Amino acid sequence: MNKDNILEAMQQIFRDVFDDEGLVIDNETSAEDIEDWDSLAQINLVISMEKEFKVKFSLLELANLHNVGDMADLIGQKLQQ
Amino acid sequence: MNRYKFTEVKVGLVEGFTISINQGMMSSFADITGDVNPLHLDSTYANNKGYKGKVCYGMLTSSFYSTLVGVYLPGEFCILQGIEINFSSPVYIGDVLRVEGVVDYINEAYKVIELKASITNQSGKKISKAKIKVGFL
Repeated sequence: MNKDNILEAMQQIFRDVFDDEGLVIDNETSAEDIEDWDSLAQINLVISMEKEFKVKFSLLELANLHNVGDMADLIGQKLQQ
Repeated sequence: MNRYKFTEVKVGLVEGFTISINQGMMSSFADITGDVNPLHLDSTYANNKGYKGKVCYGMLTSSFYSTLVGVYLPGEFCILQGIEINFSSPVYIGDVLRVEGVVDYINEAYKVIELKASITNQSGKKISKAKIKVGFL
């Protein structure tokens, strides 16, 4: 799965979590760009991504993420392991 | 009250309890919420709508999902973070309900668990099911 495929799957997760079918994300999207992206939404995003991609994240890994692109890269790394 | 800590919870862990629905619960719920819909308060009205008696509030039965996580799984250290509920059958005064949940998913990073939960009546009929997200104090 390449990064575009990962971002495409992530976009649907974001749309489901934020209940917004018009939501569009890109590499630079961060919590500052989505008003409802609070701590509970973050938990919902991470759980949904763990389930979708069948990976597990550590708290340290998550703490080092700054935007959607970082998350996609991390998922890509885990899928290659 | 149970006191499961996050490290003690495993996928597949099951907890539950049984409770009977009575008129006092219905009256209290009506007083608290102000939901005076006749389907819940008027037997004749409910009969005319095809039900065998006053229909118990769905949110009253669902309140037992709060008890499930707050008292049983995980119990004392619970913080309820979210719940999705679907109803499938009516509940009547006198019904005896079994409320049960099983740990379905564990998120180590944020110390959050997900439960698959359900409520069944004395006939074994499922009256609702829920997906519950729970954090830990």
